[in-house]
Amino acid sequence: MADNSLFLVMINGQVESANFPLYDDLYCRVSVVYGADWLLVSGLEEGTSQITKKTKDEKQKFVWNFPIEVTLKSTNPYGWPRLVIAVYGLDAFGRDVVRGYGSILFPLIPGSHKIQMPMFVPESTSLLQKFTSWLLGTRPEFVDPKFVTQSDGREVTRVRSQGSVSVTCNIMTKDISSAGYVVDSIHSHKP
Amino acid sequence: MAEVHIIGNLDGGEGFSSPNLSCKWCFETGGAWRLLEGVKDGQTQVDHPIDEGIAHWSHPIDLHYAIKGIQGWPKLSLQVYSEDMYGRTQLVGYGFVHLPTSPGFHKIECPTWQLAGSAMDQVQSYFVGSGPQLINDDVIASGSDRYRLQTIASGTVYLSLFLVTRNFNKFGIES
Repeated sequence: MADNSLFLVMINGQVESANFPLYDDLYCRVSVVYGADWLLVSGLEEGTSQITKKTKDEKQKFVWNFPIEVTLKSTNPYGWPRLVIAVYGLDAFGRDVVRGYGSILFPLIPGSHKIQMPMFVPESTSLLQKFTSWLLGTRPEFVDPKFVTQSDGREVTRVRSQGSVSVTCNIMTKDISSAGYVVDSIHSHKP
Repeated sequence: MAEVHIIGNLDGGEGFSSPNLSCKWCFETGGAWRLLEGVKDGQTQVDHPIDEGIAHWSHPIDLHYAIKGIQGWPKLSLQVYSEDMYGRTQLVGYGFVHLPTSPGFHKIECPTWQLAGSAMDQVQSYFVGSGPQLINDDVIASGSDRYRLQTIASGTVYLSLFLVTRNFNKFGIES
């Protein structure tokens, strides 16, 4: 048995760009979520990006180029860090409304990874609620964006998925093999 | 004690009779496996994809098992439900997949099937919205009693999982 099973995970990356065909003037709130056995050693676990407009050409890209730099330590891979992004935009009346939530798991394998995060937004239950939420700017949203990283209580949510966010990250680990964990083998796929 | 971590996502599904989908999932293991941390079953959100393509769930999976033997390697059994515009849910697929046995990243596509009823059942399900269902869910992930069923192919469920093992070499397990 390994005596000291403490290992470090360093995540460097960025929220590169997004693809939202229907919307403009978007910003995102980024958070790194991790389990109870994990401790943030350095870096900021939450942040808000700038507001960006999409390009006028046919690509219609949003670019945030928002940095993510965190180092975490743990004794246990359970609760491995996940990235949660909540994208907000301005509606026709200039109010902040939520345009999408998404979550990815940071890869467990060291290296460079580019990940597409599909985004989804909660839907109103009735047509009347859809209309009043459009009128008043009070779209349905999750109380806590971190809800999308948990398993319980998801079955009662109805969402509409649209758009995606592109995230690149570099993962580095320290002492995960000496803690006894094997995270990769020749039989696995490339993330 | 050897340990196994399964960390990943139930990504989404497509190719079913309706694009608005949710998935009820459950991990089944043998007697030598003990769940230390994590939730071994649950149900995803219901997604209505705007382009009617893949329904995205991005449902987190994070399990930590302690094992005394490699028999009874985990199987994930799935039931996919669709929701129509009236809010009725209908079962549109059963499927199961074994978890990979090698550490690392695995992208998994799970094929699913649904029960083919008689012509009368199909007319009834068109109007009332519910087809035949299994009484006993054990048959989804097991081979016994399958010969009694008549089924039709359904869509695909996508998963991306990382598998981490601990102390397997100390017990002589090669994976």
